Amino acid sequence: MSDPMIHVRGVCHTYRHGGVQEPVLHDLDLDIAPGEFVVIMGPSGCGKTTLLNIVGLMMPPSRAEVLRVGGRDALGLDDAARARLRRHAIGFVFQRFNLLPAISARENVALPLRIRGERVDGQVDSLLERVGLARYAGKKPGQLSVGQQQRVALARALVGRPSLVLADEPTGNLDSENAEAVLALLGEFHREWHQTILMITHNPALAAGADRVIRMQDGRFCD
Amino acid sequence: MVSLAWSNLMHNKLRSLLSALAVGLGITLMLVSKGLATGSIAEVAQRMQSVDAELVVLPAQDNIIFTNGAPFPDLIRRLILKQKDERGPIAESVIPVFFGQVSMGGQQQRLFGVDPAQMPLFLGHRRVLAGKAFDRARAFAREIEARGEPLPDDADAWQAYMAPGLELVIDDRLRRVGRLDPETGQRVPYRLGDRVRVMGYDFRIVGIVETGVAGRVFAPLQTMREIVLAGEKKSSMFFVKLRPDIDPVAAADRLAALLGSGARVELKSTYGTLLRQSFAQVNMYMNASSGLALVVCFLFILLTMYTVVIERTREIGILKSLGVTRFNLLALSVSEALLISMVGVGIGIGLALLAKYVLHVVRPLLTVTLSGSLLSLAVLIGIVGGVLSALYPGYRAARLDPATALSSE
Ligand SMILES: Nc1ncnc2c1ncn2[C@@H]1O[C@H](COP(=O)(O)OP(=O)(O)OP(=O)(O)O)[C@@H](O)[C@H]1O
Ligand SMILES: [Mg+2]
Repeated sequence: MSDPMIHVRGVCHTYRHGGVQEPVLHDLDLDIAPGEFVVIMGPSGCGKTTLLNIVGLMMPPSRAEVLRVGGRDALGLDDAARARLRRHAIGFVFQRFNLLPAISARENVALPLRIRGERVDGQVDSLLERVGLARYAGKKPGQLSVGQQQRVALARALVGRPSLVLADEPTGNLDSENAEAVLALLGEFHREWHQTILMITHNPALAAGADRVIRMQDGRFCD
Repeated sequence: MVSLAWSNLMHNKLRSLLSALAVGLGITLMLVSKGLATGSIAEVAQRMQSVDAELVVLPAQDNIIFTNGAPFPDLIRRLILKQKDERGPIAESVIPVFFGQVSMGGQQQRLFGVDPAQMPLFLGHRRVLAGKAFDRARAFAREIEARGEPLPDDADAWQAYMAPGLELVIDDRLRRVGRLDPETGQRVPYRLGDRVRVMGYDFRIVGIVETGVAGRVFAPLQTMREIVLAGEKKSSMFFVKLRPDIDPVAAADRLAALLGSGARVELKSTYGTLLRQSFAQVNMYMNASSGLALVVCFLFILLTMYTVVIERTREIGILKSLGVTRFNLLALSVSEALLISMVGVGIGIGLALLAKYVLHVVRPLLTVTLSGSLLSLAVLIGIVGGVLSALYPGYRAARLDPATALSSE
């Protein structure tokens, strides 16, 4: 097997607010192979988002023996280097309010390319077309339905062809019809482009299409 | 980043416009007060240069703006005239001026009391456009100079005695600005024969001269002395016209040594500098207040940007998830503030031009100079203020923890 996309050993995380310490993640090990579609499930508050944020380099863990993402040791990176890695290797989809309200759907999708300093070419529009929103490209997020917004967010997460896509309850705010549509798109892109996908969901039905489902409870994986 | 900054500003047009307007008003205040100061000084200084003389003798005080009253006795004039070298007297003429005040053309004017016989030295090549540069006052002045006995003390006799001396000569710009007609409320140009109340007397306009002479309003020196000083021969300042072969710098030193600490002798050409220096002291308060106004305006931008950062916490989290660096976020904040302040500078310059035009209409005698360097200063202030006011909010945005920012609603 080639180098894992995500290689985590002994990750612990404790939130501190005021004097109170709240241990959330306990000594987690996780390996995800390139191209794997992994779903994390677990009760609310068990630490799923925290884990995703750590893997997505959005926050450093309190403690970790190993944290490798996309073949890079993420523990030694400074803020700018982590930003660079996110920019080039990771695409995010969040539960809601993914988009910048001041710019159009098209500009939202183009944003990762602009941040990289790359040319914005036809692929922004072709992606919008694939998620069925070609007609809405010029609209601002406020003029789109929640389901449409989420499809724009998906297009934005994929436009830069990241090798890793992290999705935190991407369908959590959608009705079942829209949820299935978004998930179907994600599956479609995965079959085509073979990104590694790590997705959090509460919905067992949506987990069915994944290569692997990891269950979490109180900051630990249950096996 | 700049296009995102622009989109962000357009997303809340009213707020952006209000911030720009705040900056614009501050810039206007700065431009108009500075433009008015420099314009008026330059204009006064330039007019002083028109006098056919090389030196000025001023009271020995730091500030030459407030030269009112008449500290110099006639002795000084005679002393200067007595200065000789091997070829004769060094001064061809000593030209006394007695300053007064008169309300004409909608504002206070400095009234130049001069000897009617010396009017040609003030006119130079400039023409008398209408009437005469003093008429009966010429004889009146000579008469007063010659006469030694006490003045009539009966009121009517006094008025009759003074009548020939109550003459004014004004420049053409003041003529055009004119007086307010109390019946129609309109401005009407001054005409020969118009009466103007000065120091309780009815003066008549007897001459209109080309614009550019030292004063806008001239009256006979002797008349003014008669009214203000009961004929005492004192002066506010002197111009000194030197013999053509005399070096003005050396002559200035010589006269300064002669007159001692009571007077200061300067080259006429340095008068503008002196005036600017004197004005700088007064101007300090103006600068301080327009500076303060600008600080408040940029605090307004700071507050706006700060609000924006708080409001967009989640958006900042999204941008961070997309791999935007801290520096990018700071740059975004600075770009937005710069756009606001540049629009503000544009508004400010526009309003200043408008104010200049309005002033030109309602106070035609004021000169507002919006020089290129002043406008560049406005742009510079806009840039510096914009950047400074964005630094703290930008820093706050940059420092936000990405995960925390994302979890905010
Ligand atoms: N920024 C934070 N500061 C302090 N505590 C936090 C913070 N974020 C999360 N927590 C706490 O950590 C625990 C795990 O939170 P996390 O968001 O990872 O859970 P989750 O599994 O994603 O839950 P959900 O399914 O509701 O999204 C929770 O008890 C939460 O209160
Ligand atoms: Mg969560």
